Amino acid sequence: MNRHVKDKLVFWLFLAPALISFLVVVVIPFFMGLYYSMTDWTAVADLKANWVGLENYKAMFSSIPFQYSFIRTFLFTLLSVLSINFIALTFAFLVTREIKFKNFYRAGFFIPNLIGGLVLGYIWQFIFKSVVPAIGSLFGINFLEELLLLADPNLTLFGLILAFTWQYAGYIMMIYVAALLNVPQELLEASEIDGANFWQKLWNITVPMIAQAFTITSFLTLVNSFKQYDIIVALTSGGPTTIFKGQTVNSTELLAVHIYNVAFKYNNMAEGQARAIVFFLVLSVVSIGQVYYTKKREVEM
Amino acid sequence: MGNKKKITKIILTVVTVTLFLFTLFPFFIVLINSAKSSLEIISDPIAFPDKWSQLFVNIKEIWTSPSIRYASSVYTSAIITILSLITISIFSAMAAWVLVRKKSKMSTFVFLLFISGLIIPFQVVMFPLVALFRMINEAIGLPMLRTFHGMIFAYIGFGAPLAVFMFHGFIKSIPLELEEAALIDGCSKTQIFFLIVMPILKPIFVTISILNAIWIWNDFLLPSLILGIGQEIQTIPLAIAAFAGSFVKKWDLIMTAVLMAAFPIIVGFILGQKHIIKGMVSGSIK
Amino acid sequence: MKRSLALLMVMVLMVAMLAGCAQSVEEDQTVVIYQNKVEIHEQLTAFAALYEAETGVKVTVKTSGGDSPYAESLKAEFQSDRQPDIFVIEGMGGYNTWESKLTPFEGQEWMDLTTLEFVVDGQTYGFPVAVEAWGMAYNSDLLSQAGIDPATLTSQEAYRTAFEKIDSMKDELGIKSAVAMAAGPDMRWVTGLHNFNGYLSAGLPYGDTTVLDKLNNGEADMQRLTEYADWVELLFEYSDRAVLLTGNYDAQVGQFANGESVFIHQGNWIDPWLVSNGIDFPMGFAPHASVKGEHDSIFIGAPSFYVINKDSENADAANAFLNFMATNEAGHNYMVNEAKMVPAFTNVELKPDTPLSANAAEWLAKDAKYTWLQNDMPDGFGMVTIAPIYESYAKGDIDKAEFINQLALKIEELK
Repeated sequence: MNRHVKDKLVFWLFLAPALISFLVVVVIPFFMGLYYSMTDWTAVADLKANWVGLENYKAMFSSIPFQYSFIRTFLFTLLSVLSINFIALTFAFLVTREIKFKNFYRAGFFIPNLIGGLVLGYIWQFIFKSVVPAIGSLFGINFLEELLLLADPNLTLFGLILAFTWQYAGYIMMIYVAALLNVPQELLEASEIDGANFWQKLWNITVPMIAQAFTITSFLTLVNSFKQYDIIVALTSGGPTTIFKGQTVNSTELLAVHIYNVAFKYNNMAEGQARAIVFFLVLSVVSIGQVYYTKKREVEM
Repeated sequence: MGNKKKITKIILTVVTVTLFLFTLFPFFIVLINSAKSSLEIISDPIAFPDKWSQLFVNIKEIWTSPSIRYASSVYTSAIITILSLITISIFSAMAAWVLVRKKSKMSTFVFLLFISGLIIPFQVVMFPLVALFRMINEAIGLPMLRTFHGMIFAYIGFGAPLAVFMFHGFIKSIPLELEEAALIDGCSKTQIFFLIVMPILKPIFVTISILNAIWIWNDFLLPSLILGIGQEIQTIPLAIAAFAGSFVKKWDLIMTAVLMAAFPIIVGFILGQKHIIKGMVSGSIK
Repeated sequence: MKRSLALLMVMVLMVAMLAGCAQSVEEDQTVVIYQNKVEIHEQLTAFAALYEAETGVKVTVKTSGGDSPYAESLKAEFQSDRQPDIFVIEGMGGYNTWESKLTPFEGQEWMDLTTLEFVVDGQTYGFPVAVEAWGMAYNSDLLSQAGIDPATLTSQEAYRTAFEKIDSMKDELGIKSAVAMAAGPDMRWVTGLHNFNGYLSAGLPYGDTTVLDKLNNGEADMQRLTEYADWVELLFEYSDRAVLLTGNYDAQVGQFANGESVFIHQGNWIDPWLVSNGIDFPMGFAPHASVKGEHDSIFIGAPSFYVINKDSENADAANAFLNFMATNEAGHNYMVNEAKMVPAFTNVELKPDTPLSANAAEWLAKDAKYTWLQNDMPDGFGMVTIAPIYESYAKGDIDKAEFINQLALKIEELK
């Protein structure tokens, strides 16, 4: 057999299992979805879908709940990325210091990551609704006792970010730990001899070394915040309500949840599918932009 | 100097322990409320249970519940998780390797295609996916829905993008000389991959397997579509969902169920902790 | 050699993956019922087993639960390879969605034994699962302690007077609020469906759908809506804010069960919860005065129906199963004693033994009932479209005028 042909054969054979499943499970359904987004498809099987062109997309842009959901999703994503990375970096610094049982703490910080979003949402819902007031009454703190955290749109968003940070920071911490352990000890010692203080060492040696990790962590946190679904459904069910442009909207119905609700609660699969397509486009632009930007910074450092 | 270091160390330890306790607090809540009746939970969610023996009453109720079928659900979850882990890792590593080593427009395209899968939200594909699986059965008579292999196949498809991405990054850092030397020694490509590259990839296998294990074990939405709720084959999250009505939330039993669902994976984590953490740390950055 | 070995390994893996676990299940011999009540799953399964022992026909019970609502799971179920033979719809909303999948019942024995079947254009499409009743349930002990006779609660004015009195005796009665009411994100079925039914049918003769028909045509009855808003205001004003805004089912029922409220805005389905928590104080329903005028009834109806899949190959077996449930004593025993439901069939002689169901049966017996119409609104209108407005009102984001205004706007959008 010709070597070139053989190479090609190996290439495709090795690629086939992963690629075929990926195509069948993700790519083909994605394009089917694209088609469905321009029809009047409902999920009731056997009903034929009729072509409606861009109707569903038009309906989306004039929808006030969609606009609101869009803004809130960006806010949630931004704050989650900051919060998760900040906590994760703090954890990572702590568990790479000279303290006893650091592996034990590492494991502890990581454990929430083992809990699925749905279950985790239930746990935190229970904490916010029942445990926080109970703690308030135990210590006689009226504010906590009467705090209806999940009735206030902003506090609820904060609660979601807290729950998500609790789940995800331990994982992001691991990536930072790896980066921090990669910082050559000799370099730190050498600079110490040269008289560099803690902040100088941090800025000049540690930060550039974890810049690469930051590309990954910010990508992961960004994408996963943007796509967040399980926790929201179990923790807030999209509530509480708030008023936006004179209309009552669900304050934590972020895009992933919104799409689902439009598709299934209103039984308007096609319109939900159209929003999903836009959701995908925005996510792609934002995340690719982020990777591009942080990669560039990484090189500059 | 020495004193100052000591103080720093004490402060660091105190901060760490505080954060640690805060992190574990929700588990504590789950634990104490697993040992209560639902009325007891409503009256006081932070008190210790009246009697811990209620925990066993609750556990027994979950264990014998015909909708949870605990033992069989754990077994199903384990089978699906393990088989998916192995197939995702091996297939993705194979794909990533040829994508790195073969530099062509096609390989770049395929790689980017996989990467785009990282940001395709599940919501976009889920209903078309179910429709497609049904079409497959109608076209070639291979049932995909409500089957183990359909479930695992779906996991390979959804798991491949991240795994390919991570393997791709790692393989890029493996020096080519090793493989070239083997080639000169007369090894075929296949041999090179399975005998030389695979062993080097071990740390990343561990990392990916851990990530996937956590994901697959806890996954709800995908299995609820492929396997369905209340069917013969049910995973632990499906079992919990079948048990927890949307109108009726029996917090006492849900807490117990949460505890029992998390138990296997937490035990697994604690047992393999050393390797897992090492795997995560060494694999996550490359 | 080694190369082919490796290739072989890959092939084996792939084959294992594709075919390894394929199993042909002979499920076409059995009747599959896909239903939505998690709380009766075990009882229904047991009944199905009994049915199999009796007749040799296997019935598989599948139940959708959790936070993905039945309507969504059902759509997924219909996309699978094996569709259910019997499934559940809830009123006209469900009928409109599933019309193409439904087939009418014909000549079944049970059809003469009920008045609550689901009928469209003279054709019977749905088998009533159970009778449910809801309204203002009260704790008899607390109410008599407050010196109020439930028989006097027949108008909004009477309720207001009663609530005021109870509110002034809070400490004495040991309660947090007069009513346990919930309007939070988890409880949209309570506000958008059940409570809103107060606008649709309270005070009207049984079966009167004028207000509903107007709504479906995008027309709001402003006079009635304003009266109804007074009722919502009254309920919200005298309920506990924590339960009202963030409470879930447990919190709401728990408040009532703990004796921390005199009334609860719920139905007889809370009985199993109460029984399993050992609650045994006497209780009952009071008339539902959600608009102006005198009221003497509570809401009674069959909210969900078993329907037959038109494409089912086992339609006869499915029909036989439903008939057995309605006409056989074992079926009656299942419905009343096991599943704790109030059957919709006149031939059932067993009496429910749980407090609210027993009370509901009394109201049913004296024919004091208002219609359940909330499931006949367009799919999603109650829970998704209007329920959030209740929450905004409960929180004080909007006032009563705005509440009325927004409800009217949403109704007009139905045009």
